[in-house]
Amino acid sequence: MSLLRLEAVETFIGQFHILEGVSFEVAEGSIVALLGRNGAGKTTTLKSILGITPPSGGRVVYDGTDITGWRSYDIASAGIGYVPEHRAIFTELTVEENLRIAERNRGEFDAKCDLIFDLFPDLKRFAALDGGQLSGGQQQMLAVGRALVADNRVLLIDEPSEGLAPVIIEQMIEAIRRLADHTTVLLVEQNFVVATLLADRYVIIEEGSSVHSGAMADLAPDDETIRRYLGAV
Amino acid sequence: MTRNSARSEWLKRNRTRVAVLSILAVLFVAALGGLETEDWFATIMQGLSVGAVTFLVASGLSLIFGLMDVLNLAHGEIFMLGAYVGWTIYTRFDTAVDVLVPLALVAAPFALLPLWRRLGSALIGPGWRRAASWGVLGSGLLMAIGAVMQFPLVIWNPEIYAESPITFSLAVDLGTLAPLPADTWGLPAILAILGVLAGSALVAIGFSAVRPRPGAATALARRQAVWFGAVIVGALVLHAARSPINEWVFGLSTTWRFMLAMVFATLAGAGLGALIEVALIRPLYERPIYQLMLTLGVGFILIEVVREIWGRPEFNMARPAAFNGTGAGCPGQGLGGFFSGCSTVEVFGGRLRVYNEGFVVLVGIVVLIAITLLLKRTRIGMIIRAGVQDSEMVEALGINVRRVFTLVFAIGSGLAALGGVLAAPSIGLSTAMGGLLLLQALIALAIGGLTSFPGAAAGAVLVGLLQQFIIRFGQQGISIPFVSEPFRPSPTLVPAAGVLLMVIVLVVLPNGLFGKSDR
Repeated sequence: MSLLRLEAVETFIGQFHILEGVSFEVAEGSIVALLGRNGAGKTTTLKSILGITPPSGGRVVYDGTDITGWRSYDIASAGIGYVPEHRAIFTELTVEENLRIAERNRGEFDAKCDLIFDLFPDLKRFAALDGGQLSGGQQQMLAVGRALVADNRVLLIDEPSEGLAPVIIEQMIEAIRRLADHTTVLLVEQNFVVATLLADRYVIIEEGSSVHSGAMADLAPDDETIRRYLGAV
Repeated sequence: MTRNSARSEWLKRNRTRVAVLSILAVLFVAALGGLETEDWFATIMQGLSVGAVTFLVASGLSLIFGLMDVLNLAHGEIFMLGAYVGWTIYTRFDTAVDVLVPLALVAAPFALLPLWRRLGSALIGPGWRRAASWGVLGSGLLMAIGAVMQFPLVIWNPEIYAESPITFSLAVDLGTLAPLPADTWGLPAILAILGVLAGSALVAIGFSAVRPRPGAATALARRQAVWFGAVIVGALVLHAARSPINEWVFGLSTTWRFMLAMVFATLAGAGLGALIEVALIRPLYERPIYQLMLTLGVGFILIEVVREIWGRPEFNMARPAAFNGTGAGCPGQGLGGFFSGCSTVEVFGGRLRVYNEGFVVLVGIVVLIAITLLLKRTRIGMIIRAGVQDSEMVEALGINVRRVFTLVFAIGSGLAALGGVLAAPSIGLSTAMGGLLLLQALIALAIGGLTSFPGAAAGAVLVGLLQQFIIRFGQQGISIPFVSEPFRPSPTLVPAAGVLLMVIVLVVLPNGLFGKSDR
């Protein structure tokens, strides 16, 4: 059974009809990539799942429960972690505080810190620095690490490779692969190569609708689908 | 990066800030140079005293604005209400007990909200849900109000001089005030207790049904049931032990009663703040302009409420005994003189008031330290600091940000109310006291940086010092070279000077002294 299922989700931001019918499923233990052009509605899809931009139509079903219309902290508490785009970490908090704030139960951070620091050794080294003092790559690691503190069953990761140096991207891919061993991941990724390396399945979003989905392995870079929906790769 | 280059980098980025702070420091030293030693110490302390009260109002404004982007224009009126509530606790504790009982009974059913939520969805069908829940809410409200009116309430009457707040204020000074007995267990009293409880339960049911919150169904936690029971039992005990409690409090010295007044006014301010946030501000987070207008309106309503309850005339609050001693051994000498129990103390040849320049400044410092610790050392503080930057993300981590909003609104309002009690013995009670202080606090905030907590403190102290120095120079005059008459700043310059300082600082540093550049 799928862990997360979207059924014809529609979302308005202000008066703009951003999502006009997004449907897909994320099976437990898989990595699914949302593909599409800029402004297609990929980020809004993630935000609609989390209730940050609540859907006005359709249903979001998580683990058999309809979570449409729930407050976003209820949704997050149900076990959905979020790594927003642009590395939205708390710049005024120290690295350690950035991680600790994600605790939903006392002591979670201490239990998970080995795993997190093992994935991203830099975070341990700079634990006492303010988040704003980190480099872009380190901030992205912190954003991912923050989503790992609580016991999340699904991680929504928005553009993990955006604006990062190739070396850091490799490290990020490795980290996401490792954490996908015990979590389900829904990923937004502009970089097609990164998406191919990570994802099992893909969903293409075009002008606010999910138009195509399938196994990542079936999607070759010169595919007609790719050209049509994503432009040249 | 070496430490040295890091330092020069910091200097480069904060060039203007450093320049402004140095100019302020030079001006400060120059102002000190123009005064005798005995004068400058006293003036600084008076400035700090004004600054401390301003800070109590400004800090709450800054916390609320930083976290929620709400500029609470009712903050000055909460300051005013704090003074009036404090006065009531101080002079008429019997009335305070009478009010506490129905208040507790009204609040208690709200501890059981999960239960009401279920009951509401079981009893009220989906078709008529909205109308029915408003109906339940309305009838509950009527019932509760009707029952509260029946409560045996011992209160003053501003229309009759012998029973007016002014008379009671004087009576405290003379030590002749005694609590009045009231009918406790008559049939009307018991009916009133039951009526309030039932009415407020109906309000709670209606409230929970009007805006149903989808989400994981929460069972009634044991903690909530315990709260409910504890509040009810507490209210009944208070009601039963009314007379002994009153006798005991009226027997306390005014110093202890003033401490009680500070505690109760802070709690009342916090409770009112929480209520305003939950009931009025929360539905309007999408519409900031409406929020602004709403807080302005709440301010006017609070002024009318005060006029209705306490009457129109302005009155004084007697200074607590510990800061009001006279006679042999007074005034106290040196810094130790602050603890002598005298009303004034002589330090460096200048005469200071122990209450204004000692106690008020002390409370200001304690609050500054306490809030700084809260922000830096606790999880709540961590959430507040994170929320100032990005409250959406904090919520996406599974943290109930709204609860933190309510808490911060309560803390901010509580501090403003505390400021009101503290200021009352020196500036007296009036319905205009809030507006003046709000303006002063806003100026302090703009100077310090709107969302910066240390900025609020610095701005408040700056405004206080500036004000007091101008008053002092107005008495003494500033001798200007080549001008025969010394320049005497007129009293009208006092408020203008704060605004002028604000304008100058903002022209040079648009985000204030300690503000962050726009997010």
